[in-house]
Amino acid sequence: MAPPDEDTFRAEVRSWLAANLTGEFAPLVGTGGPGREHEFVPERMAWERRLGDSGYIGLGWPQSEGGRELPWGHQVIFYEEYARAGAPGRVGHMGEQLLGPTLLMFGTAAQRARFLPGILAGTQLWCQGYSEPGAGSDLAGITTRARLDGGEWHLDGQKVWTSLAHVADWCFVLVRTDPAAERHRGLSYLLVPMRQQGIEVRPIVQLTGTSEFNEVFFDDARTGAEDIVGAPGDGWRVAMGTLGFERGVSTFGQQLGYQREFEAVLATARATGAIDDPDLAGRIVEAWVGLQVMRYTTLATLVPVAGRAPGTEANVVKLIWGPWHQRLGELAVDVAGPAATVVGPGYQLDDAQRLLLFTRAETIYGGSAEIQRTVIAERKLGLPREPR
Amino acid sequence: MEFADTADQAELRGVVRAFASRYATPELVRTATASPIGYDRQIWARLSTELGLCALAVPEQHGGAGAGPREVAVAVEELGRVLLPAPYLSSAIAALALTRAAEDSAAAAERYLPGLADGSVIGALALDADVTAADGAVTGTARNVVDGAAAGLLLVRCGDRLLAVAAADARVVPLDTLDQTRRQAVADFDRAPALDAGSAAYPIALHRVLLAAECVAAAEHCLDATVDYLKMRRQFGRPIGSFQVLQHRAADLAVAVTEARATAQAAVWTAAADPAGLAALAPLAALHCSRTFLQVAAEMIQLHGGIGFTWEHEAHRYFKRAKCTQLLLGPVSALRAEIGREAGLLSAVD
Repeated sequence: MAPPDEDTFRAEVRSWLAANLTGEFAPLVGTGGPGREHEFVPERMAWERRLGDSGYIGLGWPQSEGGRELPWGHQVIFYEEYARAGAPGRVGHMGEQLLGPTLLMFGTAAQRARFLPGILAGTQLWCQGYSEPGAGSDLAGITTRARLDGGEWHLDGQKVWTSLAHVADWCFVLVRTDPAAERHRGLSYLLVPMRQQGIEVRPIVQLTGTSEFNEVFFDDARTGAEDIVGAPGDGWRVAMGTLGFERGVSTFGQQLGYQREFEAVLATARATGAIDDPDLAGRIVEAWVGLQVMRYTTLATLVPVAGRAPGTEANVVKLIWGPWHQRLGELAVDVAGPAATVVGPGYQLDDAQRLLLFTRAETIYGGSAEIQRTVIAERKLGLPREPR
Repeated sequence: MEFADTADQAELRGVVRAFASRYATPELVRTATASPIGYDRQIWARLSTELGLCALAVPEQHGGAGAGPREVAVAVEELGRVLLPAPYLSSAIAALALTRAAEDSAAAAERYLPGLADGSVIGALALDADVTAADGAVTGTARNVVDGAAAGLLLVRCGDRLLAVAAADARVVPLDTLDQTRRQAVADFDRAPALDAGSAAYPIALHRVLLAAECVAAAEHCLDATVDYLKMRRQFGRPIGSFQVLQHRAADLAVAVTEARATAQAAVWTAAADPAGLAALAPLAALHCSRTFLQVAAEMIQLHGGIGFTWEHEAHRYFKRAKCTQLLLGPVSALRAEIGREAGLLSAVD
């Protein structure tokens, strides 16, 4: 079936959002984004099912796998309209953006048949088990191990920074299955059910005072022998093959979110009179300049690689938006002035305070700024690898 | 908004790049910068006749090729990449300004465009001018007239208008400049005959946009040269580009250049397709791209170490071009205030 033209699709998405972000979902507007992922989780799970019912999950997936196979431009439109409407942060994004593409690329027919429908329906939530206390930037150094015994994988170890682990049904986990193999060669990519005896989830209290991430402990956790993506020892290739998808299409919606945040900072600056301060006024203009530059850079670099896993373009874009967003967070409290030093009961943060604090994470997660620089230096500029 | 060159633009870029790299030799730069006019007449002749670069900005009816800001930007970038000393940027903007002004008053266009198209007339912008106009004549002084000593035509800013004045009717005194690859003059006018050359707004915006594009190309060269050096230079038994501290600095420059490139492309595209959209974008591009160029040029010197501090190395010429471009664009605070007003962030009355 041919897709509707872009204008028709945009109108369709916009009216669907207007009609559905009402009633029980009305309070979700503006919730669940970065720094607010802990909010309204049950309600956002219901929202995920609503999205799935209406065919708004897996927009780019093949029709043969239950997706809508819409072109990249339509997907961008969906994210733009989604951000413009202030629709809530997605609890299903790990399944839709990471595991789904991984199964489409590396999964067996049986795995796709078993897992993709739940993701598309918004009924099955996933979390990601990559980072460990001893393996952050050096992801290949993971020590969580799994061994095949009695027709099952047995897992022991610990993962960390696992978003939504407390509500997820399944986790895709990078584990060491061959202790003798060197680093990334001994890794495998397992699919593990979260609701079982051998798994314990403990929330991490972040510097925002809230908990969006968890530690996940595996103590003889089990999963089926068939629940491995790729062959044993293929885990690194499978995990890296879809890492780029995390930084693709959603970037465009993200920038509309930034525009909303910038406008809120501007409104505060006008209300407090901070806009009359020459230094703050200059920083407001610079924030706006940065927003335009970011938009042009995204259009110039990411659009041409649309639909493919981006190369170093994504590393460049991440080094732009993270620091920009941090500066906006600092500006947000500076225009509010001393009032921003006072929080609500129970360490309740307002938007400016949350922006100041949460954005510190954005140059750390998803590959720290330092890792991005190394990738750019070696792969984009072709500088010789540092001995390591 | 289109960011990539069209096929024709890519071809033009290749031709100009090959030309510029052939002629921008250290000897040429030395002789050109030592001459009072600041450029080499033979190279200018080839650039205008063989390559036809001057004709790009001029409509066909006046002997030009009828291209526009995007093609001019390609030429500006490729000449700017190697800092070829030639009064191209000034002259091209003069041609684009007169072309636009011709819609209202054709006299200046008819008189000067044919010469601008074949390169026999060089145009210069006198934007920093303290002049008065009366009875078709202009009196006063213009400072920092880039390429003024080379010019046969001066476009003099008088309030919100431009006036076309024959350089022969002015007293033009060449100046020695910090950036020797881009010379300046001071021009005095004593009841010099002047023709209306239209609103100053568009040429000023165009000037900023093309300077931004030039800054980006030059910054790209600085980055490329620096990365090459980091790969080649060895210390402590290995290429210095394998040291993470230098890799990360180079990566930061690559990010900055990527951003500036996209911004300049957006501005050039807007100059061609939607000039009304330049009100905030032209000062934005000028601010952002000149700042990036200075950052990259300064890092070029530092990352080259001692050799980067020598007169014989090219790094200082880029650093000087970057800083002088920034100075001629005016204070950062003024650009910010203008962007803030035009974008509706700050109130118009300050």
